[in-house]
Amino acid sequence: MNVPLEEPEETELNMTPMIDIVFQLIIFFLLSLKFKTIDRRIESMLPKDRGLAPTPTFPEDFLKVKIKLFRRDMKDKEKAHTVLRIDNDRTTYKLPAAWKGRLKELSAGTRVQDYDKTMARIKSVVVKKMKAHGGNPEEVKGEIVAPPPKGGAVPHGDIVQVLNIFLELGMIDVVFEGAATPLTSKERAARAAKKGR
Amino acid sequence: MNANRIMADTDDAKMNMTPMIDMTFLLVVFFMLTIDLSQKEFFPVDLPFATEGVEDKEDEGEVRRFVINLAGDGHVYFKSYEFDLASEDPGEQDDAIQALQDALREVHGKDPSLREKDGASKVPVMIHGDWGAKWKYVQWIMQACAHPDIKIYKLQFAVKRPPDKKSKN
Repeated sequence: MNVPLEEPEETELNMTPMIDIVFQLIIFFLLSLKFKTIDRRIESMLPKDRGLAPTPTFPEDFLKVKIKLFRRDMKDKEKAHTVLRIDNDRTTYKLPAAWKGRLKELSAGTRVQDYDKTMARIKSVVVKKMKAHGGNPEEVKGEIVAPPPKGGAVPHGDIVQVLNIFLELGMIDVVFEGAATPLTSKERAARAAKKGR
Repeated sequence: MNANRIMADTDDAKMNMTPMIDMTFLLVVFFMLTIDLSQKEFFPVDLPFATEGVEDKEDEGEVRRFVINLAGDGHVYFKSYEFDLASEDPGEQDDAIQALQDALREVHGKDPSLREKDGASKVPVMIHGDWGAKWKYVQWIMQACAHPDIKIYKLQFAVKRPPDKKSKN
């Protein structure tokens, strides 16, 4: 009587290991799921007509505020810092915080405050210049100039901060200037010819 | 007769695993799909600060944007490609920029619906760059986008709000 009762139970599939593995997979995907880290962005447009022009050729008569950035003491990583000049004024502004230190120093508060103070000073000068140009921010062009080689080494973050000043003031027309490709067009042509051979 | 009744009882008491397994498989599939989309696009970088950024909502427009990641050491990550802009040799840097152009051209494809009437691309490019990346790398990326056969002019810079500032008034 007992024999037919036991047989069907033995042929049944054992689900336990499969379920174990599936749960393991779920846990793996849950842990490795990362949510994206950005939540803000600045929108911008590249110039259509002169995207690759070696030297910008705008008429000089438009109203603009030019901020020139370059890097100093590049050889020493600790001392390297960005310097700004507005139009062709004599005054230069030194950005004190090294980019790497910014997050760390936020808690200490000193150098970051210096950074923000400098940015506030720059902003006040830009406001003055803008008013001298008539005061309508949309009519005044912002120009961010970082000529190579010293300008090329300026951290992306410093440029974004300057861009931010223009945007805060409502100057939506901002031009970037100072790009240089690693090779000159002559060198590039020579390399292309060499490769073709 | 007696034995038969006992057999029926034990069968009824067994748990039905099928719906649970269905659910767990669904969960696995869900996580597999989401993981693919969310992880590849953004490389972890220390974003620059800006108070003027707009809130980022993905894919507001009809066209899906490209995300170009720029790490602090000059490495560029775009889709599954990787380029090193920080090489000592300007020739290698130039090659990396050319390769980026090729990648942009290939990923963009030739779909005419992605182009405006004047040939400009509708695809926006987000530069998801590190605070400390050299500005010239960003400029090279911008130049690659504006190349005459790529014509991507819509640009976005990924930024984050400074932690010490609440909101602008």
